[in-house]
Amino acid sequence: MVWLSSRWKIAIMAAPALIVFTALIVYPVIYSAGYSLTDFAGFGDPAFVGLKNYIDLGNDPFFWSSLRNTIIILVVSLVILVPGSFGLALLLRRRFPGGGALRALVFAPVIIAPILVGLIWVFILDPKIGLLDRLFGALGLPQPEWIGGNVLTPYSVALVFVWGSVGFAMTIFYAGLQQLPTDILEASSLDGASGWKQLLYITVPLMKESFAIATVLLITNVFKIFELVFVLTNGGPVHRSETLVSYMYFITFNNQQYGSGMALAVIITVLGAVVSLGYLLLLRGRKSA
Amino acid sequence: MHSTHHLRRLTAAVAVVAAVALSIAGCSTASSGGATKISLSMQNPNVKTADPATWAIVHAFEKKNPNITVTVTGQPVAQHLQNLSVAAQSHTLPDIFWIYKATAEQMNKSGYLMDLAPMLKDLGLTDKISSSTLDNFSTGKVTYGVPYQGLLTGIWYNEKILSDNGLTVPKTFDEFLHVAVTLHAKGITTLSDGANQSSFSVWSFLVDLDRYGWESKYQAILAGKASYDNPDFIRFYDSIAKLREAGAFPSNVTTQTYQQAVNEFTSGKAAMLDAGIWASSAIQDSTVAPDAGFWAGPTFSDGVGKQDIVMNVASAPFAVSADVKKDSAKSAAVKKFIAFYYSDAAQQLLVDNGQPPVTNYTPKLDATKQSVLKGALEASTAPGLTSPQTQPDLVVSTAVASAMYDSIYGVIEGQLTSKQAVDLVQKAIDAGK
Repeated sequence: MVWLSSRWKIAIMAAPALIVFTALIVYPVIYSAGYSLTDFAGFGDPAFVGLKNYIDLGNDPFFWSSLRNTIIILVVSLVILVPGSFGLALLLRRRFPGGGALRALVFAPVIIAPILVGLIWVFILDPKIGLLDRLFGALGLPQPEWIGGNVLTPYSVALVFVWGSVGFAMTIFYAGLQQLPTDILEASSLDGASGWKQLLYITVPLMKESFAIATVLLITNVFKIFELVFVLTNGGPVHRSETLVSYMYFITFNNQQYGSGMALAVIITVLGAVVSLGYLLLLRGRKSA
Repeated sequence: MHSTHHLRRLTAAVAVVAAVALSIAGCSTASSGGATKISLSMQNPNVKTADPATWAIVHAFEKKNPNITVTVTGQPVAQHLQNLSVAAQSHTLPDIFWIYKATAEQMNKSGYLMDLAPMLKDLGLTDKISSSTLDNFSTGKVTYGVPYQGLLTGIWYNEKILSDNGLTVPKTFDEFLHVAVTLHAKGITTLSDGANQSSFSVWSFLVDLDRYGWESKYQAILAGKASYDNPDFIRFYDSIAKLREAGAFPSNVTTQTYQQAVNEFTSGKAAMLDAGIWASSAIQDSTVAPDAGFWAGPTFSDGVGKQDIVMNVASAPFAVSADVKKDSAKSAAVKKFIAFYYSDAAQQLLVDNGQPPVTNYTPKLDATKQSVLKGALEASTAPGLTSPQTQPDLVVSTAVASAMYDSIYGVIEGQLTSKQAVDLVQKAIDAGK
């Protein structure tokens, strides 16, 4: 213990991880940021173009629609996922017959590859062959374009994302609930606190860390959504359902505009970091207040 | 006993080291000793099933040249291009690879490609492959590519669906529109298309773009002396909008893939399919084969220039890595492969696998087993029909080509007006300057 407490020894111990992190994360990010200032098209020498790629993105309506879609997915996911998965964790914490199986069922979508999740939902949401539209048709209800139109698609992607992520978020909350000190809850019961009041004034405040972890992970996951869009609509019609990452993929690899693609990658990284850090700072501010 | 045991272990260790050393040596110089290895990288993940013609040619070549092994790999287009970009920078390009013409031009400019002109002359292939095709893959005196396969595109139709509904194969756009209105009223898809994962599947509309004067305009447009936003192209997009309004396309055209569009046609649920000659095998194997025919596309009364055209050009080329020249055995093997690829035997293999020949070879066709392909080849060589030099998307950058696909599907899906469609493409052209 004494040996480890010396600062330079701690630095030596942390060095391998830092080197790997720098080589695999920091360096590629800086490298990409450098390429975002060039006109690199995959072959030949890149020429420095300054902020042109960023300005072009600012004038690109598809960039703005992909940002709008990402924000829609983020808001819908957070509004439904965080309270929904917390509620599920509360329900599944209780002991009842089949509880374990139910927990496994809720978690099941997490272990399915996102590309398969997309494929499953194509057969549910497709405007012609989809289960939902057939059901609506059979019931004589209007058959909206769940995917493929330019109105509902981001909401549909958000709901599919929620379906695929609810088990993951629920597990974080479930683990948090297991760590709650039972003596406080028992004491509050003796003081006559109702279940609702216990939840509001004891459970939720004590679960702040779990809320923070779940929310930040969900935010970063939303900023990484690609496969769902790729399979459900491939960004169509005419890029109206792109998310930031799927549009970055299109620019970089379909159009071979590596410079522009890297500019978008930098924007995604900054946005993801700002939103996550902003949320954490907000939480810290509340905590200290 | 103990020393014997040690000796055995030592001998085994030496043998393992020797084997590893030999295998490393074998890998590092593909041409040393025994067989020469050459690599062929393609634009689809499963060459054996998705591109049986190339697969058959490679196997026939290996059979004929047992001392040469061709390693075939493939990825989806975007990944393929990405891999080539990485490989070019590390000088590990495959020996032969499929590539877009615009990208090949870029690579050639950067010195990554081998000039094939001397090889083609040496092999006498300049007499077998049309000069317009080779010119299309040349810059000055340098030929950076050779034709991979023919690109014969248009519209496949199901004559039975048409006749059952009192219709005949249309010739003009107005007749085509009438077909769409009639079939839509009966709940039948007229023209099957699919934009999901296949935004490039707008082949018949690229021919229509030529019917509105693309070929006479594009050089000026790309040079900035004319605009893609012109009245002729606006009318071209208006014609697509008219088809959409007539209900010509599947209701799930956005979420449907190209393969699903093919299935819609081959299962008899669509009267027509927007595709090319490569679909002939799938159609031949389906129940609609006896009723299937090939149509070059409609003529437009308000079109520009010649209307009796069929898109029968070379597709994106094969290119050869410049590094091949550094290895004489490999260079000789690549030369042999190219000689074989354009031989009559290989061209017949192309035809046997549903592709038209890319040389002046006259193929042998089985009228029964290859009725669909035969019909298409005959339709494409009908008297009076001529072909543009190349398909519009093959002479522009990938970004502009993507914008062209988006603009066409944008109008098909009702997302873009004709004006917005031309603006989208013009913007992409301007961005590339």
